[in-house]
Amino acid sequence: MQFFGGSEISPSPPVPTASGNNGHMIYMFNRNGVCLLYREWNRPLRTLNAQQDHKLMFGLLFSLKSLTAKMDPTSAEKGNLGVPQLPGQGCSFHSFRTNTYKLSFMESPSGIKIILVTHPRTGDLRDSLKYIYNLYVEYVVKNPLYTPGSPIRCQLFNTTLDQYMRGIA
Amino acid sequence: MVREVSESCLDNLLTEVVSCYCNRFYPNKHDLAARRIEAIGYQVGHQLSERYTMERPRFNDHLEAIKFICKDFWLELFKKHIDNLRTNHRGTFVLQDNKFCWLAHMSIDPLADSSKSADGSASPTAGNKATHAMKMHLYFPCGILRGFLSNLGILCAVSADILTLPTCAFTIRIKA
Repeated sequence: MQFFGGSEISPSPPVPTASGNNGHMIYMFNRNGVCLLYREWNRPLRTLNAQQDHKLMFGLLFSLKSLTAKMDPTSAEKGNLGVPQLPGQGCSFHSFRTNTYKLSFMESPSGIKIILVTHPRTGDLRDSLKYIYNLYVEYVVKNPLYTPGSPIRCQLFNTTLDQYMRGIA
Repeated sequence: MVREVSESCLDNLLTEVVSCYCNRFYPNKHDLAARRIEAIGYQVGHQLSERYTMERPRFNDHLEAIKFICKDFWLELFKKHIDNLRTNHRGTFVLQDNKFCWLAHMSIDPLADSSKSADGSASPTAGNKATHAMKMHLYFPCGILRGFLSNLGILCAVSADILTLPTCAFTIRIKA
């Protein structure tokens, strides 16, 4: 894990691979399924209301993680399908791509899940997701006014995140 | 021999100290909690002044001591200088820090803020409560300054104000 010195965020943000305006939406969930953050920058079609949308996304990721762990050809021991695994154990998927969007996923050891939906031709976003997690630690976890487990309403975090998303693909 | 400590640990410890004193020890007596936190800062400042002025000769007057705080002391504590120093030459000094490191990670709920501006009334809204919570975090550095100066023989009173996050100003009033 990185150690932070001074007030700058480290590591420095990854180099952008394409022009900005490609980020569509971001979701953040905690270990219990509470949606901590949902922001959208470009979403023309909305089919469900917000609550159902969040539940659907969380359920989708939960199922995908179990499925990928179960179908892993390299691992010898496998639990039954649907058994919740500790974060970091087993194999974990990190993105899927369709013809209209790409969804990138990262789960931290503490159970914080970050989901980024972007343009289909985006490159590997794992470093970007790690940087967003660092932003979360710096501006949300270290904020004395934030109670863990509640939706994120920190101005600094929102502005820094918007700024960063405008700069990457 | 220089010993190092993790900055994140210190930040979290201070947050927890303020939260403990305000919510658990003195739940509805914020003034008492503030005074206790300031007293802790006083002890810390007292001891720090011994360490950091060890190799220096005595200060000639109050202004020199304040200038030492602005440059060397703040540099040792927060790795930066005080950005702005004002005085009325009659014992009052205002030290302004444009990016105070213990306020740098704090931010308030944007929705509560907008509702407060629409209201305009004097009732305690979420925005006011957030500002009050942030002010509690400034009592510790106020205590540090007061302890530092008192060990140099300068009796004073220190208060702090948040201008806009993360800028804050410490006002030192020296008792004549």
